[in-house]
Amino acid sequence: MSCNKTIILKTNNLTREISKNGSVVKTVDSITFEFNKGLIYNIVGPSGAGKSSFLRLLNRLDEPTGGDVTYYDKPISTYDPTELRKKISMLFQTPYLFPGTVRDNLNFCCPKSEVKDIDFHLKRVGLKAEYADKEADDLSVGEKQRVALARSLFQQPDILLLDEPTSALDPTSSRRIEELVLGLSGELCLTIIIVTHNPEQALRLGGKALLLVKGRLIESGEAREMLTKPASELGKKYIGKDLE
Amino acid sequence: MIETGYLQVLASAALALVALILTRMKTIPVEKEIAFGSVRAFVQLIAVGYALEFIFKTESIWLILLSVAVMLVVGAYTAGQRAEHYKNGFWIALISMGVGSLVTLGLMLILKIISIEARYIIPLSGMIISNSMNATAIAFNRIGSDLKANKLAIETALSLGKTWKEASRNFYRASVKAGMISILNFLKTVGLVALPGAMTGMILAGASPLDAVLIQLVVGYMLLLAVSISAVISVEMSIRKFFNSAQQFIG
Repeated sequence: MSCNKTIILKTNNLTREISKNGSVVKTVDSITFEFNKGLIYNIVGPSGAGKSSFLRLLNRLDEPTGGDVTYYDKPISTYDPTELRKKISMLFQTPYLFPGTVRDNLNFCCPKSEVKDIDFHLKRVGLKAEYADKEADDLSVGEKQRVALARSLFQQPDILLLDEPTSALDPTSSRRIEELVLGLSGELCLTIIIVTHNPEQALRLGGKALLLVKGRLIESGEAREMLTKPASELGKKYIGKDLE
Repeated sequence: MIETGYLQVLASAALALVALILTRMKTIPVEKEIAFGSVRAFVQLIAVGYALEFIFKTESIWLILLSVAVMLVVGAYTAGQRAEHYKNGFWIALISMGVGSLVTLGLMLILKIISIEARYIIPLSGMIISNSMNATAIAFNRIGSDLKANKLAIETALSLGKTWKEASRNFYRASVKAGMISILNFLKTVGLVALPGAMTGMILAGASPLDAVLIQLVVGYMLLLAVSISAVISVEMSIRKFFNSAQQFIG
């Protein structure tokens, strides 16, 4: 599949302020960035850097207090939020599957799916067709995360937002998700924006990286270069694990 | 029928005294509540008795409406206290209980089940409002805690392109059902586990059990409608406090 790597998503001075203990805190502070089609973007940074807060603004799960996000050059506030989120899908740190079977979960977005579609999407995330009739509660966390991924893919999104999708998984399951992410990006021309607290994971995934500290975008660039030879002082501190 | 006067009431106060002694012996810290509660119940009910005597004699429509309004405001205030997770609980309770009561009483008047007389409107309103109050309070409690506890489930559904109504549908249903559970249990067990209040009152007053059963059926269906309306409206209004027009969960 050919993948024209045009700009798909832009943030312009994106800011979110929240009230915390009586004072106003900027969780996301004036971030301007462009995301291209078919690329992987690793959002890295210490705890409390605003990585997840930034991600939640991209599919309008939260509202910015300043700046905006454009999707195909149109502000996301002009799209119907339900349609927007089908195209900019999000996976959370802890996968949530709705009560019922795996099939019920895959049917959640597309109730009239055919068996072959369900089999196809399960296979795509490395699960056998028999999994369709398993109860969601009986799956391991890693399997749940893969079903959650298949459920998102069912809607044929343009962008996948992954909020630390492997932090609750064991190393083997974690690697499987990483392999899937790498495969999907190339195969489906998906833009994948992944929040990770683990710079090694970002190095394995490659693509681009953005370093956030205290809500601000400190630096960005090719993941391998930025995470081995950071240009900024804060980048050096982060790599030296001196920034937690 | 045994004649009931102040002497019999005084004698029955001995029962409260036995409860007081029992709890004191077992060092259960409810002495003050029993003592104050018993005196308070006496004062409140005697005052209400005199007020109702007066209203029944005058049959003033304004006094009837005022009585219903007072019951409604006190009930809404009590239920509204249960809306811990959001603002305006009192107003939501007032609207849901008010609509539930008015529609139910209105239908009973239209269907000529009752007429506009203080002896019908006031006691039936009391039953309707107290049952609606309990239903609303339970529904408030349930919807608030369910939505707060299930943020991940709700945001997962929203992230898959569902509307806030779709994302919260199961919690909506469970909360309305929780509000109605008491009246549903009542309908299931009425007459088998206990004889309900209206029926007991009529039998004690000397009415035939069959007449008492007919009145109780009217009361049961009346409460079912009032509670259903109050539970549905209170949950519908409460749930909107947790979402905005951008289909975001703001609870």
